Amino acid sequence: MTPDVFLFWFLALLIIGSGLAVLLFTNPIYSALSLAMTMVGVAAIFITLHAYFIAGVQLIVYAGAVMVLFVMVLMLFDIKAEIQAFSSGKISGAIKLISVGLLSGLIVGGIIMGQKSFVGELSKDAVQVAEAQKVKKSTSPDAATKELGMVLFSKHIFGFEALGVLLTVIAVGTVALARSRGGTHHAK
Amino acid sequence: MQNNFFTDISLNHYLVLSSILFVIGMAGVLLRRNVIVILMCVELMLNAVNISFIAFSKYTQNVDGQIMVFFVMTIAAAEAAVGLALAVTIFKRFKEVNIKFFEHLRG
Repeated sequence: MTPDVFLFWFLALLIIGSGLAVLLFTNPIYSALSLAMTMVGVAAIFITLHAYFIAGVQLIVYAGAVMVLFVMVLMLFDIKAEIQAFSSGKISGAIKLISVGLLSGLIVGGIIMGQKSFVGELSKDAVQVAEAQKVKKSTSPDAATKELGMVLFSKHIFGFEALGVLLTVIAVGTVALARSRGGTHHAK
Repeated sequence: MQNNFFTDISLNHYLVLSSILFVIGMAGVLLRRNVIVILMCVELMLNAVNISFIAFSKYTQNVDGQIMVFFVMTIAAAEAAVGLALAVTIFKRFKEVNIKFFEHLRG
């Protein structure tokens, strides 16, 4: 068993286990900590896939910024444990679980069934492309990040600009929303 | 195809991992009642999609998938900010962050 294979199985178990922990803990703080662990695991998966820059962004944006936001809001609320953490109703809960199971079965079945036709063809194509690009392609993190930046600022520059506008709108809108008094109706 | 399932890590392994994580997130969105935990489960689903983007990006030697992940991460951070601001507003009025209070939010 090579280190790559061990790393994949270890990270897969870590991600699935901590993902389930997000779902099953009734204390939201524990859910937030499990989510942070999941984010770190996903960043490590990105490193095993040679996406170094994206792994760094994942650590900074998710495990840093978004998790701090979640934990700060949770501490603002002062919730120890929830009275009714899961949705009530046995029949509706069973229907939800059945639909989730059906979806997972369909996805995994589809992936396994498509293995020979689509993915086999894909990996053959990928091998050819990799052979063609082998001269200029280097696997060092520097070169990969440089290529990513080149594509981001040339081919996808309009998406990048639109993202900037969106973030400005979101920043202003969030402040306005947090300052509002919350609708026109009266509390019960 | 004589690949060993446990020792040859292929694209399928990453896709199955991604779909399992997505389904966990979906179960959380359907089953939990705390608004903040629901937002966390949405983040889980977005991460699952990111894994499959990166896996396809590596196995097809195409950088566009990583650009897409970059965009998804930015949108996810913005979505978390808006969702948490809404949760703060709901908490200020009802002193509770349960999803069942969303039906009173008219106006």
